[in-house]
Amino acid sequence: MAHLHNKLQGRSPHLMRWRFIKNHCMTVFAFFTILIMLCILISILATLIINGLSGLSLFTLTHMTAPQGLPGGLLNPILGSLIQVGLATLIAIPLGIMGGIFLAECSNKKLSAVIRFIADMMMSVPSILIGLFVYILLVMTFGYSAFAGSCSLAVLALPVIARTTEEALNMVPSAIHEAGFALGAPKWKVILWVCLPAARGGVITGILLAISRIAGETAPLLFTSLGNSDWSWNIFKPMASLPLTIYQYADSADDTWIQLAWTAALVITIFVLCLNLIARIYVDRRRKKDQ
Amino acid sequence: MSLKQSAYQSEKKIIPYLFSSLMWCGGALILLIFLGLIFELCWQGRQAFSAFGFHFITSTTWNPGNQEFSAGTALIGTLVSSFIGVILALPLSFGCAYCLNELLPQRIARYITAATQLLAAIPSIILGMWGFFILVPLMAHYVQPFLKHLFGPVPYLDLLFSGGTFGVGILTAGLILAIMITPFITAIMQEAFANTPTMLKESAYSLGATKWEVMHQVILPWVQKGVVGGVVLGWGRALGETMAVTFVIGNAHHVSWSLFMPTNTIASLIALEFSESAAGSLKMSSLMALGAVLMVISFFVLFCSQLLLKQVLKSR
Amino acid sequence: MTANDVAISIKKVDFYYGAYHALRDINFDIHAKKVTAMIGPSGCGKSTLLRMLNRMYDLYPNQQAKGEVLFDGVNILDKDIDLNILRSRVGMVFQKTTPFSMSIYENIAFGIKLYERPSSARIQEKIEKVLRQVALWDEVKDRLHRSALGLSGGQQQRLCIARALAVEPEVLLLDEPTSALDPVSTAKIEELLDILKENHTIVLVTHNLQQAARCADKVAFFYSGELVEMNDAAILFTKPSQAKTHDYITGRFG
Repeated sequence: MAHLHNKLQGRSPHLMRWRFIKNHCMTVFAFFTILIMLCILISILATLIINGLSGLSLFTLTHMTAPQGLPGGLLNPILGSLIQVGLATLIAIPLGIMGGIFLAECSNKKLSAVIRFIADMMMSVPSILIGLFVYILLVMTFGYSAFAGSCSLAVLALPVIARTTEEALNMVPSAIHEAGFALGAPKWKVILWVCLPAARGGVITGILLAISRIAGETAPLLFTSLGNSDWSWNIFKPMASLPLTIYQYADSADDTWIQLAWTAALVITIFVLCLNLIARIYVDRRRKKDQ
Repeated sequence: MSLKQSAYQSEKKIIPYLFSSLMWCGGALILLIFLGLIFELCWQGRQAFSAFGFHFITSTTWNPGNQEFSAGTALIGTLVSSFIGVILALPLSFGCAYCLNELLPQRIARYITAATQLLAAIPSIILGMWGFFILVPLMAHYVQPFLKHLFGPVPYLDLLFSGGTFGVGILTAGLILAIMITPFITAIMQEAFANTPTMLKESAYSLGATKWEVMHQVILPWVQKGVVGGVVLGWGRALGETMAVTFVIGNAHHVSWSLFMPTNTIASLIALEFSESAAGSLKMSSLMALGAVLMVISFFVLFCSQLLLKQVLKSR
Repeated sequence: MTANDVAISIKKVDFYYGAYHALRDINFDIHAKKVTAMIGPSGCGKSTLLRMLNRMYDLYPNQQAKGEVLFDGVNILDKDIDLNILRSRVGMVFQKTTPFSMSIYENIAFGIKLYERPSSARIQEKIEKVLRQVALWDEVKDRLHRSALGLSGGQQQRLCIARALAVEPEVLLLDEPTSALDPVSTAKIEELLDILKENHTIVLVTHNLQQAARCADKVAFFYSGELVEMNDAAILFTKPSQAKTHDYITGRFG
């Protein structure tokens, strides 16, 4: 090593040392930022588990919320969340896939570029504004309802599904596409029976990610499904949901309610992270298969 | 069989017609929702806009008793808190992306990337709750007194760090926003860095450049627009974040130089005041107008970020 | 032949991509101030060997080399080699042109500034010197401060060579430097190699047998991870001693 240095006479050793130090400082800084982010993640998960796990019992999962002072559970928020998220997914999947097909197959490239641009923006539009929008459209005429809540969640999921569907369709090799046309099949048959099945992995991943995104959304539900401490199967009435229950309980001064809020937070985080993990593992598997 | 269309085929045309019209509906729906969003918010806010005019934006009074409402306080709160968020998130996400793409071996980086993306998946209300119960006491007992001690003697800067150390306030909100948007910006930066041609990096290494020199002088100039686009997108997300901020902003209708003082953002103000506003009232209309203001700002910011990111994708 | 003629001596070198054994027991010497061409079909390991000479493979943790590569009396495969200094003495040019997204001036100054803090007059002087060396000076002297991305492919490649030369390396590694260029630009770069070998040891990987015959003093033929034959260019192309070499240069495969 010393030997290699000898030939560098006339070059500045100070400069070399300075470059070395600068490089090391940046490396240390980069590892430090990673450490910070990991600490934050661990802190959040640990807080949730420590505070939430003690409340996670069969009683909590099988009993309705109760007024302050009485023992209550989380059954109706859990059911409410499942119903609203499920309904939202049911609404968003066909619309989103249709939008995705439009983006991928529309012959008017300018129009599809504009709509793609808008869909990309919609993915980041504040969710509270989507809530206000659905409030204006539905709640102002028909009143608060779980259906309105589902609609607002569906609006949030729509651009995600549309864009992932489009990307998955574009990934389908054009040879498969053309092979379909070569058999004389009409466009709609090729897209529905050849391209879409070939792209199904990407579409499913998109749907899973969309669900994990809307499952924890609170702001839009605030103005649409309102929350409900009683239970009803009627989706045209206000309905409880986990995020709204957390919002209401965490802000209260009652310790048992705060406890329930932590438990609800744990439940929803587990749900969301599991969906996310499944989607990611699914993506990884497919990538491996492709290779 | 004739190659010309037979009667049989034209009968069968109904399905392709149905299909293409459904497809167009799907596309049009996205467009309609977007336009409807802007139009409806402005329309519902017209009462407030006509009552207060331009003062709605510039004034800082919020007095339901006198039926006086304005966006000034919340607008400043939104801009300042998101600005703090971006300033804090920028070095964090750059460090993470640099470390994950260039420093760590891929085997390890994959798992840490997945961890940072999990952080992005955590619902904002959970972050808000964590902020309220964990971060706020930390801020009140350690960070804020320390900052006060540090900047107290400095003229002008002491203004930013004056007042009581309650833990809540615009600084804490900015911090939560930074935590929220860092994974987003990191992901975009990682993608941009990964798009730099390998040979370009190698040719810098072959001159004897260090990793940092390659990052700073070769990769960054190459992906400039993507990085800026990612940061602007993060800013756009921070602007409209509701739940995480609502828990820690402190909800107060006044503007102060101090970063420790509770205030409001547009999103938190809408979320907090909505339940206390009657449909059709001037207050409700003001909230809608606030939403319209937020929409305009977000639209502008997201528009810029998408333009920047699109150019990066094109150059691929 | 004296020991002084040998710039790099490769002894019993093996190379692995993960579990894949890419180079087997390579032994040969690279002579100072000569052009050594490495030829062979795709995937035969010639680029791998080239990238070993400046430890480029170090960027990828699953790649490892075993054996000895002596350069200036030092085994450069040693763990404690200072890579920055090694790479300043062993420059490299790639098959795709790789101008950094900066001006022409900054592209060359980038390398210079890594090793010294020169005055701007000295940078200017050095830049002019290397650009003249690669016969690019007259073409770009009026637009030194414009982006290097605006140059043509051949000009970009000559800029990349100039950039590598500005660091004053003793050895120059060229990895198929003309594969992306048109015949005129290729000819210019081949002429350039003839001039450069007065002061530099040049190792050239090429797919183009004519190019190897035109430019190289020594030619090494690789086949599936092994060095089949190494000889003076004139001998290897006219009287190869191995049947495989004969088959390859007569176009039977590869």
